[in-house]
Amino acid sequence: MADISKMRNIGISAHIDSGKTTLSERILFYANRIHAIHEVRGKDGVGATMDSMELEKERGITIASAATNVTWKEHPINVIDTPGHVDFTIEVERSLRVLDGAVLVLCSVAGVQSQSITVDRQMKRYNVPRIAFVNKCDRTGANPYRVKNQLIEKLGLNAVLIQIPIGLEDKLQGVVDLITMKAVYFDGESGEKLRYEEIPATLQAEAEEKREEMLDAISMFSDELMEAMLEDAVTEDLIHEALRKGTIALELVPVMMGSAYKNKGIQPLLDAIITYLPNPTQVTNTALDLDNEETPVKLVADDGAKPVILGFKLEDGQYGQLTYIRIYQGRVKKGDELMNTRTQKKFKIGRLVKMHASSMEDINEVGAGDIAALFGIDCASGDTFCHPSLNYSMTSMFVPNPVISLAVNPVDKKAADNMAKALNRFTKEDPTFRTYVDPESNQTIIQGMGELHLEVYIERMRREYKAEVLTDKPEVAYREAISQRADFNYTHKKQTGGSGQYARVAGYIEPIPEGEDAPNYEFIDSIKGGVIPTEYIPSCDKGFQAALKKGTQLGFPIVGVRAAINDGAYHPVDSSDQAFQTAALQAFRETYEKAKPVILEPIMKVSVEGPTEFQGNIFGSINQRRGIIISSTEDGANCAVDAEVPLSEMFGYSTVLRSLTQGKAEYTMELAKYSKVPQSVSEELKKAYQEKKKELSK
Amino acid sequence: MEVQELNELSPLRAFDKSLHGGLGKGNLGVLVSRHGVGKTACLVHLATDKLFRNQHIIHVSFSGNVDHVISWYKEVFRQISENRDLEDATHIYNEILANRVVMNFSQENVSVEKVLSSLETLIRQGSFNADAVMFDGYHLTTASEEDVRKIKEFAMNMRLEVWFSVSPVKMDVTYDEYGVPETMLKYEELIDVLIGLKYSEDMDKVVMTLVKDGDDITPHPMQVNLDPKTMLIVN
Repeated sequence: MADISKMRNIGISAHIDSGKTTLSERILFYANRIHAIHEVRGKDGVGATMDSMELEKERGITIASAATNVTWKEHPINVIDTPGHVDFTIEVERSLRVLDGAVLVLCSVAGVQSQSITVDRQMKRYNVPRIAFVNKCDRTGANPYRVKNQLIEKLGLNAVLIQIPIGLEDKLQGVVDLITMKAVYFDGESGEKLRYEEIPATLQAEAEEKREEMLDAISMFSDELMEAMLEDAVTEDLIHEALRKGTIALELVPVMMGSAYKNKGIQPLLDAIITYLPNPTQVTNTALDLDNEETPVKLVADDGAKPVILGFKLEDGQYGQLTYIRIYQGRVKKGDELMNTRTQKKFKIGRLVKMHASSMEDINEVGAGDIAALFGIDCASGDTFCHPSLNYSMTSMFVPNPVISLAVNPVDKKAADNMAKALNRFTKEDPTFRTYVDPESNQTIIQGMGELHLEVYIERMRREYKAEVLTDKPEVAYREAISQRADFNYTHKKQTGGSGQYARVAGYIEPIPEGEDAPNYEFIDSIKGGVIPTEYIPSCDKGFQAALKKGTQLGFPIVGVRAAINDGAYHPVDSSDQAFQTAALQAFRETYEKAKPVILEPIMKVSVEGPTEFQGNIFGSINQRRGIIISSTEDGANCAVDAEVPLSEMFGYSTVLRSLTQGKAEYTMELAKYSKVPQSVSEELKKAYQEKKKELSK
Repeated sequence: MEVQELNELSPLRAFDKSLHGGLGKGNLGVLVSRHGVGKTACLVHLATDKLFRNQHIIHVSFSGNVDHVISWYKEVFRQISENRDLEDATHIYNEILANRVVMNFSQENVSVEKVLSSLETLIRQGSFNADAVMFDGYHLTTASEEDVRKIKEFAMNMRLEVWFSVSPVKMDVTYDEYGVPETMLKYEELIDVLIGLKYSEDMDKVVMTLVKDGDDITPHPMQVNLDPKTMLIVN
């Protein structure tokens, strides 16, 4: 049985191209799980083991996170490889949810980039303790000291060097361990043989200075260490203990370095993972008790407790659906019964496996704190599985609303069937990916977080499901809103034959002022003297909400509306729930034009990074896209520009940016806010909407 | 209150009046004091006032962190809008922010040429029609005369009003009674307006003195000073 205090669940998070996949590969190699190292874009055509999807291999990026179990010095470590592109952040977020610690990989040349900032913000949100690894120290321009300073300045982390490099760029030989004060070299064909030597004389003074800095920074986490420093009796164990305390408390980030590609610095990183990152019992996890008004319940990572399990990732395997699970408490074995608290359906555990990137190992049972995978369970990503006597749900994960949609048309009947299968799978795997059939055009619409996000799924439909589809132009998820107050007084009357309908509602609608926490809808009931009976007040509320679902300008939802009723009338026989719903709906529709409706569009926070020489082109490209430059930061040869740009102007930006900067700049984006569309654009949008409607009605 | 009224009532009108209508384009203005007297806030207040009057501002900073500067703007705006009970404040904030760009240079000892060339790139290629540039924390006291001359030329050619907030780099400088360090005096002739900031315990205010105004080099007390709590300019 695994000793839980030795177990580690860690993620490797980073900016795209900072060498994260290569690093994961080396970690698997040194832990003796794979026998040869494959490069991400390997000449041998095999590709890195962690990139299990064909598409990922082709693009050299990792899209889906694969959980892999390795053992290092008798510590079982579950490594979760997380995607680096911001369009797939739900994958990153979901991985972070199940992690107890993480390695933040940074490129020693590019340093802290916009994506690192996003990933770090996510880690903060999920309270994930982390170690920083400055990779690619063999590259020209490598400077781990600069990266450490950026961690402090840009990410506000208390970053502390625990190593210094021996040589840099093509002269990188190894690292000096500031704790043992030894030089570490990585010999053998794949750096598998560690050689410890005295610190080179030229580095002695620097090493001593940096060790002092490290001790000063970590002594606040351990009184014992502080005393030992005064008495000059510092031991390695005291340093480890202080580093561990600071790291787990999220108040310190140890900074390590090396080059995964050159096989330097990986084993010390593995040592640090088991020394400084927490085991599952040192992390607090809570679930919500659905039987008790969602009261938070603390979970205990103990085999004896009743099982609570989160399904955090689905994958379509050769033998059916594979569900990656994290066991938060309890122990489960084959044949045990669990309940999916979302569907309230019970199921029996069939096959239970541990995963190694693309191969697997059957196991009979799995204990608290561990990560494994189940076969053949019908569920969605993010579902909670409990002992049938519990009704817990793990805290709902933060799921942003999609900002872009695209109509997909299968080329034939077979493609249509395959597409349906694919979409069913994708929506289960990824909560930010949604799909529906537009009742007006009868087209299948897919929605997601960005152009690339949708492109990847279309590619996957073609490759994995043989579903050939044609796509329309992507469409932005607009919103509608009102800009001024308007009063209404509407009577809904239908009293000809049979049971009649009667309801009168009066009041006003007005915009809710902008603000960070402004709600999308507010209902105010100011009815006095029972002119509308209490039981029909919720009907009015429902009627307004129904009206808000689809505005008349572009057919998008209406947001930021306060609807108030202050007068009305009813009929003892003919009034009903339905009559008041209809009255409120119609009242809203009738008043909408008077309230001067406007169109809102998603504005993206765009971060572009590239060499300073292309700064002008970057500024120009933002300016041409109705963008607003918020800030520009220059740091030597590199510059980073932050801007706010309407999503509708961002289509095809990656291609444009590549050609403007000889492929040397890159960008990330995320939703910042919704803002009013300029008048000219709004007229065009309305015209196009009317034309489309006309065409559909033909 | 609406923006127009807020602008009319702003203490910055008295500030401009002290300068006989403001600094004016093509000119260099300097706010100088010891560290920690509130120059950045003061500079951001000057900038925010310009934003309220639909001018375009470039804020140049030399720290590693842009967020720090952005939070200063947020805070100064919040204080002004709450004091004056500004209508539809969030909307106005988002609107005026479109006219501000923060330009940050985080490498040490960046050259004046580099800074000016980046500013020019932003103005020309980014089509950002700047009215004023605020240099926050520029090491003016250790800059060469040549550097200051280049900035002056740039301000004239690009029709910009240029403000600096300056604290001396060296610790052991002496300050005169208006809070102006001796190291500042060598550029006096290149600078059009020089304002010294000094905390007065008696008044519990940061006193602003117009040490130089064009050709006039007799120090005059200004009609405004800094509130040491909010760090805003007050009447």
